[in-house]
Amino acid sequence: MKRFTKLTAGALVLAVPLALTLTSCSGSGGGSGEGDGDETLTVWTWDPAFNIYAMEEAEKVYQEDHPDFTLDIVEVPWDDLQTKLTTIAQSQAFDELPDIFLMQNNAFQKNGINYPDLFSDFSDSDIDFSEFPQSVVDYSTIDDVNYGVPFDAGTAITALRTDVLEEAGYTVDDFTDITWDEYLTIGKDVLAKTGQPLLSGQAGSADIPMMMLQSAGASLFDDEGNPTIVDNAALEAAIDTYTQLVEAGVLVEVNSWDEYIGTLVNGTVGGTINGVWIVGSIQTAEDQDGKWAVTNLPKLDTVSGATNYSANGGSSWAISSTADVDLASDFLGATFAGSTELYDTILPKAGAVANWIPAGDSDVYNEPIAFFGGQPIFADVVKFGPEVPSNNTGAYYYEARDAVSTAMTQIMGGTDMTTALEEAQANVEFAME
Amino acid sequence: MASDVKTRTKTASRRNQPPPLNNYIGDRKPWLSNTRRRSLTGWGFLLPAALLILFMSFIPMAQAFVLSLQTGRGTRLEFADPLWYNYERLLNDDVFRLTLTNTFIYLIIQVPIMLALALVLANLLNNPKLRFKAVWRTAIFLPCAVSLVSYSLVFRTLFANDGFVNDMLMSIGAIGGPINWLGQPETARFVIILGLLWRWTGYNMVFYLAALQNIDQSSIEAARMDGANAFQTFWYVTVPQLKPMIVLTAILSINGTLQMFDESWALTQGGPAHQTMSMAHYLYEVSFQKNPNFGYAAAISYVILMLVAILSFIQMKVGDKRD
Repeated sequence: MKRFTKLTAGALVLAVPLALTLTSCSGSGGGSGEGDGDETLTVWTWDPAFNIYAMEEAEKVYQEDHPDFTLDIVEVPWDDLQTKLTTIAQSQAFDELPDIFLMQNNAFQKNGINYPDLFSDFSDSDIDFSEFPQSVVDYSTIDDVNYGVPFDAGTAITALRTDVLEEAGYTVDDFTDITWDEYLTIGKDVLAKTGQPLLSGQAGSADIPMMMLQSAGASLFDDEGNPTIVDNAALEAAIDTYTQLVEAGVLVEVNSWDEYIGTLVNGTVGGTINGVWIVGSIQTAEDQDGKWAVTNLPKLDTVSGATNYSANGGSSWAISSTADVDLASDFLGATFAGSTELYDTILPKAGAVANWIPAGDSDVYNEPIAFFGGQPIFADVVKFGPEVPSNNTGAYYYEARDAVSTAMTQIMGGTDMTTALEEAQANVEFAME
Repeated sequence: MASDVKTRTKTASRRNQPPPLNNYIGDRKPWLSNTRRRSLTGWGFLLPAALLILFMSFIPMAQAFVLSLQTGRGTRLEFADPLWYNYERLLNDDVFRLTLTNTFIYLIIQVPIMLALALVLANLLNNPKLRFKAVWRTAIFLPCAVSLVSYSLVFRTLFANDGFVNDMLMSIGAIGGPINWLGQPETARFVIILGLLWRWTGYNMVFYLAALQNIDQSSIEAARMDGANAFQTFWYVTVPQLKPMIVLTAILSINGTLQMFDESWALTQGGPAHQTMSMAHYLYEVSFQKNPNFGYAAAISYVILMLVAILSFIQMKVGDKRD
């Protein structure tokens, strides 16, 4: 009897840990890796309503000529995607990479310079990069080599509530091709007559000053990669204008992204200035149908090189280093860099405005959009695209942007602008050590 | 028979005594003696766990220390010159000093209030005459079971400019206009401290409740009979007997607060310009959001480790003084 129990006990001691280890083993070992099979590509991207939808339509377009082609699309939010790429690159586990992944334009330089092993370049592909606006291609160009196909346009627009403007006696034309001084004057008038501010923004986020900066063709870094936060006339003008807007009440600051969208959807503000992708969020407010219009940005008239055009955000498709490069670049070239049919399909449903210039010639782009009072906004935005000045982000863009946000918070709290900007520059130089 | 009696006694006596430790056959001690076998069995049971901890915890910790001596961007890491370059850089980093101050503010304000509150609540809930004890205890402990991210997001919505708290305060006339809770450094820190208090008081209360069960009721009754009021009983009789548990919860709380990440990340995203960012959040930012500088991040993590170790050491020295 004693021996039997000992035997059972011994068997259990061996079997149970073994079973537990095996169950834990079975879960792993299924990383995405290269395309298995001849005609399958894996894609990592975010936003089902926009990017994933666009990819699925691209798959259908490509399947017309290549029936065996399939895409394996995995939804990965941008923050997670950035973390994954960093982790994969640091641990050198490159077979975990997908074939194609989407990357924010602002982060492209940082990832490309720090982790060149993640990317394949487009030097062997047939894609004609001159069919894209120079400013957008520049984001994914490192040392004159292209690493990304531009996708989502971050072209900035001024979106305005026509009913609020009418109440104050203005129209959209009063906001086209103007300067920021004029914008401020009209904004104060609208505020006085209707009680509604014209803009909202996240406190401590430097989105609007960055757009102003880019519209003047200036950047936070020079060509050698040194930070140019001090002695930057365009930046000082941008921050100055921003401060004036907030003090006059024309721009109301909120604390989080959800609150910002809330101000648009709930009608707290009479407009916004952001990338054209904001129309997706605006259109969720069905009760405001027909009451919006779109135009270009005001310009910083005190700065030379000022334009009425800018950009915020935007993304590009990149091919990873372990991908089937020929298939992937052929796919991207035939769809995102070569198919008007694709752009025609995704525009109405998702509002995905093409960076690809030939796409703007199609009829779909010239269709009037009811939500915006019959204005063919997408045709207008595609016309804005080539006018946008380039922006030198460099690898330390996020550090510089954060430093400028901090400086802005201090300036709004009363600190002298030169001191705050010098501190910001010192912080960025520290981070660059 | 006489010989039978002797055998019986010998067998009986042999059965009632433990086996002799040196009952080996022959005149040489075998290598696998009983003592050795027992200690080897013990080590055999410890071995899997010990190996796991060695490979999963200690070796990575050593690797992290080596990493903190290296510098460079992305994968281009090489040993810094001088070796402690990252630590020197830490001392000059304004943002790191700010996060250090923030974390210490949370520590100094939140931990004592929380522990005192937990102590008082535990004492109240230990009252044998209290009705619905289970309900109160569950209600106070429940915030602990909520996910860190969920409660941070809910707090963020509550304290938004047009959130519930502002609405309520304005409707009872306590404030004239909405307070920008998350937009100013002081109020943002206050919201984080409030969140931490709400969440962790129940957790520590359960520890104290458990410890209170071990207190001899007669000591409390004796104090009552000697004329002590409730507060004096609590302070002079109950609390000294809870000393070991207080030291334990203090060490756990300090450890947790110094490594705080989720509230800083989900509630305030580092607050207006890094003003509410904790050290762990800054570490994440340096590793994944800004230009990845993993050597520097490892140095920050070691600074956190050293702070926790020092504070815990002080705690234990102070706590065990009179034991």
